[in-house]
Amino acid sequence: MKSSQNIAFTCTRQPCETGHGNEQAFKWIHNDLSESLFTYQEIDRASNRIAQVLKQSGITPGQCVSIYLPKSVELIDSFFGILKNEAVACILFSTFGESALYDRLSDSQTRILITRKSLLKKVQKIEGDLNELQAILVTDLEAHQDDFIRSLPQLLAEAPDDFEFSAEIEAETPAFIQYTSGSTGKPKGALHVHGGLGTMLDSFKEVFEIQPDETFWCTADPAWITGLVYGVISPLACRTNQIQFGGNFGAETWLEILQREKVNIWYTAPTALRMLMQEEAELFHQYDYSILKRMYSVGEPLNPEVYHWAKKVFGCEVYDNWFQSETGSIMITNKPGRVVKPGSMGKPLSYIEAMILDDAMQPLPVGRQGNLCLKKDWGSMFRTYINKEALYQEKFNGDIYISGDLAYQDKEGYYWYVSRADDVINTAGHLVGPFEVESALLEIEEIVDVAVIGVPDPILHEKIIAFLRLKAGCEWSRALELKCRVNISNKVSTTATPQEYHLVDSIPKNKSGKILRRVLKARYEGKDPGDLSTMEEK
Amino acid sequence: MNVTEELTAIFREVFDDEGIQLTPELTADDVEGWDSLSHVNLIIAIEMKFKIEFTQKEIRSFANVGEMIACIESKLNV
Repeated sequence: MKSSQNIAFTCTRQPCETGHGNEQAFKWIHNDLSESLFTYQEIDRASNRIAQVLKQSGITPGQCVSIYLPKSVELIDSFFGILKNEAVACILFSTFGESALYDRLSDSQTRILITRKSLLKKVQKIEGDLNELQAILVTDLEAHQDDFIRSLPQLLAEAPDDFEFSAEIEAETPAFIQYTSGSTGKPKGALHVHGGLGTMLDSFKEVFEIQPDETFWCTADPAWITGLVYGVISPLACRTNQIQFGGNFGAETWLEILQREKVNIWYTAPTALRMLMQEEAELFHQYDYSILKRMYSVGEPLNPEVYHWAKKVFGCEVYDNWFQSETGSIMITNKPGRVVKPGSMGKPLSYIEAMILDDAMQPLPVGRQGNLCLKKDWGSMFRTYINKEALYQEKFNGDIYISGDLAYQDKEGYYWYVSRADDVINTAGHLVGPFEVESALLEIEEIVDVAVIGVPDPILHEKIIAFLRLKAGCEWSRALELKCRVNISNKVSTTATPQEYHLVDSIPKNKSGKILRRVLKARYEGKDPGDLSTMEEK
Repeated sequence: MNVTEELTAIFREVFDDEGIQLTPELTADDVEGWDSLSHVNLIIAIEMKFKIEFTQKEIRSFANVGEMIACIESKLNV
């Protein structure tokens, strides 16, 4: 049986055992821009204590422990504490509302949830329906509330700071679940294993080429695959000199960090760059980024306009790349030493075989748009969708993984993203399933039918548009719009909030009741909706 | 009800948190879920409640709740 290092061993214990325990693991920059330094030994010991707490709480290998925290050192310590028990970690965005939270905690059969006081209220609204949940550990609760809501600091105070675990484990041991939205139904939990570590690190080295004297900053939240693999796992495993910022996007704050921390390699998202583009040009002259050597972006296509702007303003090359929660690491990329074609996601990594296939899974010629597919033989690939094995199998045709993205390849081998092949909306780098948004809108008593689509947006890549049919006698008002917005923000997440609301007399559906989103999209964009023979509008 | 009390009720509704206590020093970093998108919800709710309108510059410039209250009061001529 193939073995692998436990990801937590590689990232926290190994550096200590090889004489690097007192070296800086990362510099944490707080919201107010004050900073704290953390060594490998501190991260190892902190995660040991959490591992001890989880073990004493009855967690066994294979059980799921979820983390519902904003970007924080506690999140990172918790992640490795879970992995040291060979339990399965699931990191959830702190922006998730109660419905989004319930779907993920119930599907993953989470046994223990780690959160903080300010987020606890959302959990308490749903905890009664979470039959598998045994305890909630609260990172900033001074004393245990009861046997169920426990103070993590109180438990940690009694926990030893060592923890014995196997460095070498079976490669297929589950490590973490990454939830991703689908066009229909509930979110899908892509399961990743410890054996994926090798590919993650190979991609990190091949794409970023970070030297020992360079400083790296990945702005992504660890609840997102990018933030976990390239903001936490890879830089720690490779002992990269890195910074972590606990706050959200803010143009002046980010520019200040770039300058003050002398960032050399910066990994961010196109939406962040597009938001920076909205700022007055004068702002960018107030900071010095001359030390910045390379920028990288991921999450949505990097439009040529943004590419050229960023290259000019920051004075360095910008490398876009592509991967998914399912692939576990970068698959296609631009990188140093290769000519960048603005707007292209680049070429496959050296060990990745990509192809464009038609719906019958036949190769398409250069320049023809089709399904972006990958040959299934890389280590960091997801192993299943939790509780949805049939959906997982649908993602494959033999040994070919069907990504769900449409793209084409040019004659020089560069890949160009076109769109999703399904109805999933990519807004600000977050994949949003229309079903989740529609469900939250249908909870509002004035709404009888709803459909949600994504349309192109200059800043968000796609913005969410809702089409609503109101109950007879109800009228649209600003108060009702606010009711819709607040309900989605609090039940699903703020990123899932539609930007526009349109009233319609009916929602176009086919004879089996499926919403014809392409018709709504065409109508919105003033285009021909195409074949309407299957449509029934009620 | 004064402006602070009205605003507290709005914050509690928008962020679905009955425990929110407003202070002039409170910032987005102190309130879970107060990001650029929920800020839009907050602004719509405030404009509706007080029957006022903020300029884009005002919306972007609030450094804390105290500045927000001062701006509302100036529009209400309190």
